Amino acid sequence: MSAQKRVSRRDFLKVVSLTGGAAVLTACATATPEPTEAPAVPTAPAVVGKPFDGKTLRMHAISGANYDELYKLIPAWEEETGAKVEMVFKGNGFETDKRLVQDFAAGTVDYDVAWDHSSFFSQYVKADGLEPLDAYFSTEDLADFIPGILNAGKRDGKLWVMPRHFDISCMHYRTDVGLAGPPETWDDFKAGALKVTQDNPGVFGTQFAGKEEALTGRFYEVLLAEGGQLLDDSFMPAFNSPAGVKAISMFSELYSAGAMPPDMTNFLWEDVANQWVNGLIGMYTEWYGWYSYFQDPASSKVAGKFDIARQPMGDGNIHSGWAGHHGFSITKASKEKEMAASLIKHLTSVEGNQLEAKLGILISRQSVWDQIIKEAETSTDPLAKKRLELAVLQAQEDFRTPPLIAEWLPLSNILYPILQQVILGDTEPQAGLDEAATKVEEMMKGAGY
Amino acid sequence: MTTQSVAVGPSRRKRKRFQFTDRHLPLLLLFPSVVIIVLVIGFPMLYSLYISFTNFNLTNPKVIEFIGFQNYITLLTRDSQFWKAFGRTVLFITLAVNIELILGLGIAQMMARLARGKGLARTLMMMPMMFAPILVGFQFKWFFDAQLGLVNNILYSITGQSQLIPWLIKVPLGFISILVAEIWMSTPFMVIILEAGILSLPTEPFEAAEVDGASGWQKFRLLTLPMIMPFIYTAMAIRSLDLARAFDVVSIMTGGGPANRTELIWTYVNRLAFNGKEFALGAAMSFIAVILSLVFTYMFFNNVLKSRWTEEVEL
Repeated sequence: MSAQKRVSRRDFLKVVSLTGGAAVLTACATATPEPTEAPAVPTAPAVVGKPFDGKTLRMHAISGANYDELYKLIPAWEEETGAKVEMVFKGNGFETDKRLVQDFAAGTVDYDVAWDHSSFFSQYVKADGLEPLDAYFSTEDLADFIPGILNAGKRDGKLWVMPRHFDISCMHYRTDVGLAGPPETWDDFKAGALKVTQDNPGVFGTQFAGKEEALTGRFYEVLLAEGGQLLDDSFMPAFNSPAGVKAISMFSELYSAGAMPPDMTNFLWEDVANQWVNGLIGMYTEWYGWYSYFQDPASSKVAGKFDIARQPMGDGNIHSGWAGHHGFSITKASKEKEMAASLIKHLTSVEGNQLEAKLGILISRQSVWDQIIKEAETSTDPLAKKRLELAVLQAQEDFRTPPLIAEWLPLSNILYPILQQVILGDTEPQAGLDEAATKVEEMMKGAGY
Repeated sequence: MTTQSVAVGPSRRKRKRFQFTDRHLPLLLLFPSVVIIVLVIGFPMLYSLYISFTNFNLTNPKVIEFIGFQNYITLLTRDSQFWKAFGRTVLFITLAVNIELILGLGIAQMMARLARGKGLARTLMMMPMMFAPILVGFQFKWFFDAQLGLVNNILYSITGQSQLIPWLIKVPLGFISILVAEIWMSTPFMVIILEAGILSLPTEPFEAAEVDGASGWQKFRLLTLPMIMPFIYTAMAIRSLDLARAFDVVSIMTGGGPANRTELIWTYVNRLAFNGKEFALGAAMSFIAVILSLVFTYMFFNNVLKSRWTEEVEL
């Protein structure tokens, strides 16, 4: 009893409620931050010639591969404007997208500039997370950008993404496996792949990235070339057409004939690239971005033994190339939109494009294209000039983005497992596409289309 | 003052004054932790339960409407893929737990009998548990790769047949492959628990059985097994809980594919909620998966209570 202290119930409850209240307040402060408020910008006396002196710009950026090189231009912008750039997030494309989707949904955006992508920005627009860029970029600012690339960042008549660089599918084919040349049509492609498989033991005629958005995109570009459409004008599924059946049948027939690796439905981008550099594939459709890796004898068994070509045509008589661009957007939550636009202009400037072009990345300004094609004339790389000329031609004529809708990834999420079923022979092409169309229609109607 | 005396009243004065004693101290000290746990675990769980009754979708986050049990009805009555994933998960748990138990029991018996090198053997045996599940996934993905994988290369060396077996693609090889990876990773856990059980057994019944001329198998079946049943059920309960939320290894090896062939509940939740942006459906499915875990846990813990060894065991 001597250890007992006399404390009134009221005092006890006071202690408990104060402790609990403090814990609740602390947790609430971190769990539900105020929505979409950019942090207060420290004020500093303005200095003539430095428009954003003392201010801080927060940026949500992509990182990895060659993406970070461009950020080396930021110190020059900081010097010129007097502002500081703070990177609030860096991650790969899918991590960045996931984070952006969640931030826009939760209203926790505290940055001014966000990395963006032509395939993803519609989600952010629908979530009311982005600021239209039209007011910040004049016609003169935009004149140098390749129109097809610029248009891929537009929706509802407004520009949402300033393009930084792009990529587009391109036919890669080996010159040492008996192919007479690049396939002109997808029918030629199929016949060529079967022949390569037959004539070259240990080499598969072709391959595709076989799952997730990668498979949906590959199907999409063949579908377009064959004259089909993914969605009709009212955004309802149209891929279960004869063109769709023909497109997916080609995948299925090549797989069942052993002209594609048996693990192909488990492949993503790195996997198909590895197959190619190991000399296991005769020809396939691939992004330009891998070129330096493919042409390096230290990493590639096919270095100097392949060529590139425009994508084959189909019954629709078009060379469709699944394409997309990376770029930058301004968040609606930004309190410093002019400053954000200034940084984006700097990063997408001629200088920025030149820097990225040196890394082999496909840039978005026509003037820089003209310049690097001219410089490539003296290159020792036999494909240097051809590659650039082909890429810019494709950017001008074949650039096909997925439908610019927020539901692209959900649509792909429904479609790709069924495409896999068809490829693996679990279901017939028409039946599979019909089933996918029913599910996609339900999803699109649920989304308000 | 007058008002105060009226408010207090004679009846309140009679109440026993609260005394803060040592008995209350643990409650006071635990209170902040309880509050934090409620906020960090309780609140998100309740919120996701609420989300499961709405139409919340990440592509349209501004719209959250209460739709009752619609998501649960959709999953249970209209989504055949859900039932396939559910059935596959139940099969996965059943096979993995039982195979791990058989292997674990055998290894634990051998470990318990080791006269020398016990420490080294235990360390080696526990190595699979030291790997992150993601690494195990990558490791077994390579083992079972059709072209570059270890398994096909070994088969080629032994049999000389060059046919590439797509382990991660074919039915039921894909399912078996992820099962093998899971069993390899988690059997040591079973061994640790069961060996602890075996080492804790009294020696007298075994000495008596020895005197009575019981064979090794009889001693195992009639003594060891009944006496370590509480350990077995506890280990099975913990493992079934683990397996019911299996994700990492499967996600890396097959991602639930191809064509949903190895889809388990949590890979399906991931595909639906994050790739498909159907957060509400994903939340509903998560709660169904939790119920599945509870069923297995109840089943095994119920058996733990029933199987507690007593002196009444007949020899």
